[in-house]
Amino acid sequence: MLFPTVDFAVFFLVVFTGSWLLRPHKIAWRWFILAASCVFYGWWDWNYLTLLLLSIGINWFLGLVVYKALTPDGERTNASRWLVRIAVIVNLGILGYFKYFDFFISTITDKMRSIGISVDTPLLNIILPVGISFFTFQAISYVIDIGRGQWRKPLNILDFAVYLSFFAHLVAGPIVRASEFAPQLDEEPDPRYVRSGEAFMLIFRGMFKKVVISSFLATQIVDPVFANPDAYGSLAVLMAIYAYAVQIYADFSGYTDIAIGIALLLGIRFPQNFDSPYIAVTLQDFWNRWHMTLSRWLRDYLYIPLGGNRGSKAMMYRNLFLVMIIGGLWHGANWTFVVWGAIHGGYLVAERIVRGKWKGHELGLPPHLVKAMQWFLVFNVVCLAWVFFRAQSIDGAFTLLGRLFASGGSDAGVSLLLVIVIVASIASQFVPPRFPQKAEVWFATWAPALQTAALAGGLVLVDALGPEGIAPFIYFQF
Amino acid sequence: MPAGLILVVILLAFCVAGLLNADSTLRKSNAKGDGWRNEIAKTVAAVTDTFQINFFRNTIDDALGKNQGTKIDVEELLRQQAEAESAAAAEAAQKVPELVAPTPAEPMKIWVGGDSITQTFGTSFQRITQSTGIFTPTLDFHVSTGLARPDYYNWPEHLVKDVLPTNPSILVIMFGANDGQNMVDASGKALQRYSEPWMIEYRRRVAATMDLLKAPENNRITIWCGPPPMGPGTKTHGMDQLNYIYWSEAQTRPWIQYFDTWPFFSDTNYVFAANLPNADGVVRGMRQKDNVHLSTVGGDRLSWAVIDRIGKLVDLSAGNVTPPPSQAPPASVVERTEVPPNMPGAE
Repeated sequence: MLFPTVDFAVFFLVVFTGSWLLRPHKIAWRWFILAASCVFYGWWDWNYLTLLLLSIGINWFLGLVVYKALTPDGERTNASRWLVRIAVIVNLGILGYFKYFDFFISTITDKMRSIGISVDTPLLNIILPVGISFFTFQAISYVIDIGRGQWRKPLNILDFAVYLSFFAHLVAGPIVRASEFAPQLDEEPDPRYVRSGEAFMLIFRGMFKKVVISSFLATQIVDPVFANPDAYGSLAVLMAIYAYAVQIYADFSGYTDIAIGIALLLGIRFPQNFDSPYIAVTLQDFWNRWHMTLSRWLRDYLYIPLGGNRGSKAMMYRNLFLVMIIGGLWHGANWTFVVWGAIHGGYLVAERIVRGKWKGHELGLPPHLVKAMQWFLVFNVVCLAWVFFRAQSIDGAFTLLGRLFASGGSDAGVSLLLVIVIVASIASQFVPPRFPQKAEVWFATWAPALQTAALAGGLVLVDALGPEGIAPFIYFQF
Repeated sequence: MPAGLILVVILLAFCVAGLLNADSTLRKSNAKGDGWRNEIAKTVAAVTDTFQINFFRNTIDDALGKNQGTKIDVEELLRQQAEAESAAAAEAAQKVPELVAPTPAEPMKIWVGGDSITQTFGTSFQRITQSTGIFTPTLDFHVSTGLARPDYYNWPEHLVKDVLPTNPSILVIMFGANDGQNMVDASGKALQRYSEPWMIEYRRRVAATMDLLKAPENNRITIWCGPPPMGPGTKTHGMDQLNYIYWSEAQTRPWIQYFDTWPFFSDTNYVFAANLPNADGVVRGMRQKDNVHLSTVGGDRLSWAVIDRIGKLVDLSAGNVTPPPSQAPPASVVERTEVPPNMPGAE
């Protein structure tokens, strides 16, 4: 079930009503939310539901046995360490089967063919269940946190099921941790004070970003140019690259805004997932602002276990690079994602080296100019990496980049409106957060009738400016 | 705000927006062919139409330039064409048109168009035909279009009024990927997609569109490409059934040459395959991530296959029409002699 659809609107009205009516009855509320989440997920394909329920059962059980293997003081034991490893292997094994099996087989086949050995290995054409990467990462974090003794009491199976399957974050995040979500299950939010102003603004903003901005950029320039770069001139290619940077942000952050808004209407608060990433002046800063819940997951469950900043500088650089490569692969089974990760990893390492060498040196330029140059550099490195992220193949990405410097080709799709949308979308990130916050507070003071009219008007506007159909969110495929 | 009041606000906002957006919702519902939801959408649209509530939204749509379609039916276009056509021309159309061989000095005008699949395929086709030195190609695609929704985009009208007057010698056309949706027939009756009445109506539109493409002097060929098989995870179904209609209608119209794309994007059992080897033996990705649209490689592969087919109808020896093995399909991949109405695994 996609958020900006009539189906979801009806579903949400039922869930909203049921949720607030049942909230005082903790067990009944949990069963209701679990059932609603199962309907939401099963709407895509009821077969997927089996996998989700299997993941809930396995990880809840592993969490329990890991907890029992700890010392009474919550200290790790050899048994708990091994059980955590098993949990990680099981989860990654399931993820790997669905996400990487065909990629692995086709890579091996290609390599063997390149050395003259022809093998006929049938691909399974496995369909990737929606959101598997997200709920798998959440499940891993739960078991690891218990194994580390950070989560002292395993959840009961109902709470764990609600946590892992909660429909608002199920298919495209944010990646919420049990320590953030579970305490909210026991709270009893006051139904007289729901943060509707903030929630409505988030939902409207998210829908506008997804349905209007993202869809417009995709159909106007991104899809045609990335599909056939050879036909386009350098201006169209450049615009398509910048447009994709805006498109993927609008698409993913739009989804997150809607998810956070919906959860808020049900009295649940999710962590922030985006914080104006395109204003970053360093790539490290970018990763503190882009897909923040994935960044901290990679930091806590991959970077730190690999050694993090401990040890030599060379090891730290290796860890950083490795984490970004794995972060790239998390997005999908394609070498393009590896290159995307490598660009980010390489630049992060370079950034640290340069920062270390230049510490204390002054360029003699005005600080604002230096900052602007840094911003320009980081933004364009991010855009360069997006080219590989979006392209079908590495060859395709290089072809597209090559068109930036080639003559000829059409500049079809480039228009004043397109430039305005790109520039305005990027510029909007420089607006201080206090302004939208003030708008939320102001909106909350409106009379209910006025809020109704504004919401209805917003829905008409989004529908009118959007395309005829609703395209799936980009991040569903991850 | 209290939860109860929020519920009222949301409910009212949905109702107001639902009424204002009724026509748009009905269009989307028709497109999806979604049973009982469609009935509700129709009822709501009828109410808004009665009370002219849709005026506000329709004004916005008009201002935004949406709804480029018309209500002109293909039969009306055919009637106009028949009035202008002589009996001698109808007689001439009974055999495959014989076209003058193109040369670099006198290149042949070739037009390629259709829906969003044609976007990738057509761009490849345009580039490749241009590189042969004997074609002057024109690409004309419109996303989310087909023959099912003339109210959204009227292809037959566009072909007659905008394309044919430019006198292309060859048209390469592909529809179908957006046509698996409910339709409204000429009498205004809604038809459930792929139901028997739907098939009859779709066949009528296909046949009439093919007739519209007939040239009075029988000097134009249309290569009608059936859509390729769609991959798992897509919501685009029934392409085999549409292909059967295209193929069977083309059998009695010599100026229409059906091109069977299916074998070029499937394995040896005619089952969808995203990755396939080209003539050089290297396996490449033929489709975009959505498993519907062709990749650039897939577009190149289809382009060379279509050029090969054109070469069987027209002498192309004056041009550079030998494909690089890295772009063309293997020689073993050929069109089927008959197109069956149902393919295993196509649904």
